[in-house]
Amino acid sequence: MMAANNYFGFTHGGTQYGAATASAAYGGQTGYAVAPAATAATYGTQRAAATGYDTAYQAAAATQGNLHAAHAHAHAAAAAASAYDASKSAYYQQAAAAYPTAAPPQPQPAYDTTAKPAYSTPATYAQYGQGGARGSGGAKPAYGSVYTATTAAASYPSQPYTAPAAQPAKPLYNAASMYVAQQKTGGGGSGWKNYNKSGVGATPQRRPKPQPKAQQLHYCDVCRISCAGPQTYKEHLEGQKHKKKEAAVKVAAAGGAAGARACGASALRCELCDVTCTGADAYAAHVRGIKHQKVVKLHTMLGKPIPSTEPTKLTPAKKTVAGAPKVSFVASGGLSTVGASSSVPRPADKEDEKVEEEDEPEVQPVGQDYIEEIRGDDGKALSFNCKLCDCKFNDPNAKEMHMKGRRHRLQYKKKVQPDLEVKVKPSMHQRKLAEAKAQRMLVRDELWARRRMHEAGEDDERAYWEGADWWRGPHHHHHHQGMGMGYGPVGRRPETSDDRHVLAKHAEIYPPEQQLQEIQRAVSHTEKALKSLSDALADHARPKNQAGKAVIKTEDKKDDKPEGKEDGRDNQLFSFVGEGEAAPASGDGAGAGGAGGAPVGGPGVRALKGVMRVGLLAKGLLLRGDRDVRLVVLCHDRPTVTLLKRVANDLPHHLNKVKGPNEDAKYKVELQPAEGAVQVSDGTVNVVVSLTSAVMREPAEGGDIKRDDKDVLPRQKCLDALAALRHAKWFQARAASLQSCVIIIRIMRDLCRRIPNWTPLNPYAMELLVSGVMQSASGALSPGEALRRVMEALAGGLILEHGPGLRDPCEKELVDALGNMPAQKREDLTASAQQFLRQIAFRQINKVLDMEPLPKVKHASGGWKFPRKRRRSNTDADQDTHNGDGKVVKTEEKADVSEINSNAKK
Amino acid sequence: MVRGAGRGGRGIPGRGGMGRPPFSRPRVLMLRPPFDLILAEPAFPRCKPAPDDAALTQALLKRHAELCPTPTEQSAVLSIVTKLQTVLDNLVVAPGDFAACQLEEVRQVGSYKKGTMMAGKNVADIVVIMKTLPTKEAVEGLSNKVNEELNKLMRAEGLGNVSSTCHERGFTVTAATAAVRVLVTTLHQNLRKLEPEVHLDYKVISSHLAAIRHSRWFEENAHHSSIKVLIRLLRDMCARHSGLEPLTPWMIDLLAHHCIMNNPARQALPINVAFRRSLSLLAGGLFLPGCAGLPDPCEAAHSRAHTALDLAAQDHAAATAQTLLRVVARGGHRYVLGLQAFEGGKDISTEITVWDGVVVSPLAPAYHDSPEPMDTEDKDDDGIQDGVAA
Repeated sequence: MMAANNYFGFTHGGTQYGAATASAAYGGQTGYAVAPAATAATYGTQRAAATGYDTAYQAAAATQGNLHAAHAHAHAAAAAASAYDASKSAYYQQAAAAYPTAAPPQPQPAYDTTAKPAYSTPATYAQYGQGGARGSGGAKPAYGSVYTATTAAASYPSQPYTAPAAQPAKPLYNAASMYVAQQKTGGGGSGWKNYNKSGVGATPQRRPKPQPKAQQLHYCDVCRISCAGPQTYKEHLEGQKHKKKEAAVKVAAAGGAAGARACGASALRCELCDVTCTGADAYAAHVRGIKHQKVVKLHTMLGKPIPSTEPTKLTPAKKTVAGAPKVSFVASGGLSTVGASSSVPRPADKEDEKVEEEDEPEVQPVGQDYIEEIRGDDGKALSFNCKLCDCKFNDPNAKEMHMKGRRHRLQYKKKVQPDLEVKVKPSMHQRKLAEAKAQRMLVRDELWARRRMHEAGEDDERAYWEGADWWRGPHHHHHHQGMGMGYGPVGRRPETSDDRHVLAKHAEIYPPEQQLQEIQRAVSHTEKALKSLSDALADHARPKNQAGKAVIKTEDKKDDKPEGKEDGRDNQLFSFVGEGEAAPASGDGAGAGGAGGAPVGGPGVRALKGVMRVGLLAKGLLLRGDRDVRLVVLCHDRPTVTLLKRVANDLPHHLNKVKGPNEDAKYKVELQPAEGAVQVSDGTVNVVVSLTSAVMREPAEGGDIKRDDKDVLPRQKCLDALAALRHAKWFQARAASLQSCVIIIRIMRDLCRRIPNWTPLNPYAMELLVSGVMQSASGALSPGEALRRVMEALAGGLILEHGPGLRDPCEKELVDALGNMPAQKREDLTASAQQFLRQIAFRQINKVLDMEPLPKVKHASGGWKFPRKRRRSNTDADQDTHNGDGKVVKTEEKADVSEINSNAKK
Repeated sequence: MVRGAGRGGRGIPGRGGMGRPPFSRPRVLMLRPPFDLILAEPAFPRCKPAPDDAALTQALLKRHAELCPTPTEQSAVLSIVTKLQTVLDNLVVAPGDFAACQLEEVRQVGSYKKGTMMAGKNVADIVVIMKTLPTKEAVEGLSNKVNEELNKLMRAEGLGNVSSTCHERGFTVTAATAAVRVLVTTLHQNLRKLEPEVHLDYKVISSHLAAIRHSRWFEENAHHSSIKVLIRLLRDMCARHSGLEPLTPWMIDLLAHHCIMNNPARQALPINVAFRRSLSLLAGGLFLPGCAGLPDPCEAAHSRAHTALDLAAQDHAAATAQTLLRVVARGGHRYVLGLQAFEGGKDISTEITVWDGVVVSPLAPAYHDSPEPMDTEDKDDDGIQDGVAA
């Protein structure tokens, strides 16, 4: 028992060597010596660390008698000491390995006898001590070279370790043969080596081994076969097979435990045949096998020791154990291996084994369902096919083993039961994979974090979009928008393809500047002429004194022209009434629709109170090619044919008066009594001037019927003109302020002009519809979205019979602005809108707009990344190169909008 | 609603860090909901008398009565579902020697669970969540086991035998008058371990998980009976018109819920209004690309219910709904609802019809399989977000 403890000590020393503590390693070395040593305690006081090993060392030192050397050694450089110790401890460990399983009393002394002299040989030791004393520089290389030169195979201990107690001789025999091998390979003839030789060679137990070889049975120990005679034996020794095996042994010895590493945690070995099996089943199969039986027979015949059929357990920690059968005596080549790998403390090792032994039987075959049997004609299972692993076996045993196997279990875990326990073999590859995975996770986390931030940005942006008027001023806004994160224009929404198409189309249908100027000029002249006419009429109607006053007034007014209104350019009522003139009349002029308290008659009241632009002109809906604009003149009283005729007669004169001398426009005035209007035409632009009066709204029979009804202009026409006035006001107040609304109404006007199905949709109803659709959207819409939404509303059956109808906000009563539309027209319009909607959804908006598809933007996704300093309109112009006035158009449109807005505020 | 969902699903504990370069991914545009007359009421006040919808209401209720399963059918389904549930529950609690798979949970889903079963379709759905991975063998093993156990139960009660057949979604247990589809799925964490040739299809598996979420959502949000009535009517309508056939029950559930409940007053709308609304929404492009559609409450943020349809199907569905809308507007609801067969069972959505001199014609498809793939920048960002399971 004592001995066992001591041997434990050796190994432990080895371990500590692994930890590179010189003193402990040293202790390890000395621990060995404690076995023969009875007592000794002279040296201990010198040692600082009083461990068990130390005492052991002291004991050893005492027995050996070379105190000073040991002392020198103790204080030698760590490197030298550790190297020495390691080599020894490695050896000891190997030797000691024989004991845990066998632990017979006999081999122990034998071992002692072999080993002890070796280490206590004064010469060697002294030499060593000197080396240590000289310093690490000298000592270390010397020993290092020894150890590395003697390429050690790791498997030496395996045999002594597993060898049953009954055959203590065998390990020694093996050791001897190994020694020979070492001799061959070992280069440097150091003292250590010599010592080895003498030490081991002196062992009497080794002798009996070669003797059987010399007997008539010729047994090759490398190949574990017997030969019939010396001849065959010789042939065998020279044969390819033997050479190969021998070489393999050497290679294995040289390569340390390379071969052993391959075997997994639960590898089993058959000592007899030197066969490593991957599992208990494989081992069982081997033991049952003919090859094994043969070897057993042979060994029995030879009287060689037959190891028990209990398999040798190989653990990864004991790589040294698992190599080739022939091992060098000192596992020197594998020094590092030995030192490191055998560094597992003995008891721990044992525990490991126990654990594994307990583990082993727990492995239950899994995945029976996935093994299909391939049966022959007679119904007998011919072979098996594992569907999980995609492999075949012919043998039921193989199948069983496969089902318990790691590969199969891994597949099962992977494909069937994710929580199945499978022993993982940590390999370099797997570790790399794991690292890569961790890396990926890290990257992904970061991406998520970034995306979250990005979304936070989006939320802000969304709030912005859903807020009020972004469309008008994103350019000014977005520079101070965002969160100061270097995000670029957070406040900008990328223009979609639909938007670009709509804007391009809009640019196409928007009237050119020249046309606008022509219209503007004609309208302005007409308005001024009407004003002039109104003044003349007023003068005419007034008493003399008042007339003069009026003239002065007019002149006054001309003086402060810069302040006052020159014409109806702002699309509001252009009142002819001067400031100081009849106070009550001014109130009347402002309320075009309010016919309420209009004073009737009385001197000093003008017949023509004011003029206002209505229709397309007032709403800013003129399109390219539009020539007809409308003005409405509000009269004080019911407009009569007489008045109309007078206007028609006098207007040319006044037109010539207001027109500048350089302007060569020729105005032609045409009377249209049926329309209740006169038409002023300069050849390109037609200005229709309708006469109406607020009093026309009063029921004809309710008012004073002083005048001849025949003389009064047609009532419906007058009412229409009044309605047009209200519509213009409504439009300016409600529709023009809605996002994208004017653009879309222009687009829709174009649509109604082009497509017969849409023609029945009257302009005012269309305006109501579009503005309603815009209004109902929760936020601002881009042009593309707005057009689509209009189509959605129509496609959803808004104007079909069961729909709510379009309430006219300019009427007191509930009036459907679309009330007169026939069913078939509604149906066709709805069907057309439905088709358009799907075309828009499927990127064919160009078909709806009747245009060529625009090329894709180059930086479709990159657009928002780079702050675009230029105005959006420039981009439009770029895309639409043939339409050079894109920029102008946009500017115009913006001006329009702002103008309308400012008016709306008034 | 959409915005709220954007925050909920993906909680990553705050990882700060300001001033990073912008996330270089094309942003998902905020898609707009379509024009919805019910929600746009303030902008379009009614200015003419509401149409007399009594005829439509009557027709809807009559059709619904026809579509409801009879008590006999209901009890037949109930009986087999209860037994099957018992068998499966036993397997969950005490699997015994049953080793083909391990069950985690068993849930009833689908129309049976939601109470929207249709007459003549006595198939209930049960989702089985496996702890193990759903290999075909496991499904087969489970099928055999269930069949065996169920037959024991049936014999004990003196009822006829059941048979069970496997298919790609799981297996179906068929009794004399009713059947139960057992849909197999697995735990969430197993989803990415699925391999196409060994296991059931990934899409099928995840759709079964989604089915569980759907029935839970339905239980919590859509228990109003008006919704169930509308679901039956819409499902029936969709089944009879080829263009609407691709709409999944889940889309119809969401649509019905939206039509009934999503209004300013948050009170259930009358069935006739809701029915018109559903047609009107479909016709108005609710399920077209580029539309916000209906956000799927059971999927990750920004996922839309209709993106499961391919583009051609979306186009076709919208076109069909558009035609049907106009037919209904002309008073053809009896044909649309299926109370009256149209000219020997023809699909009314593909025929030119005349109503009081008004010609209603079907529409041509707008979607073409163009050789150049359609630009997907903002229109059909389908599947960008849909991959993220809730």
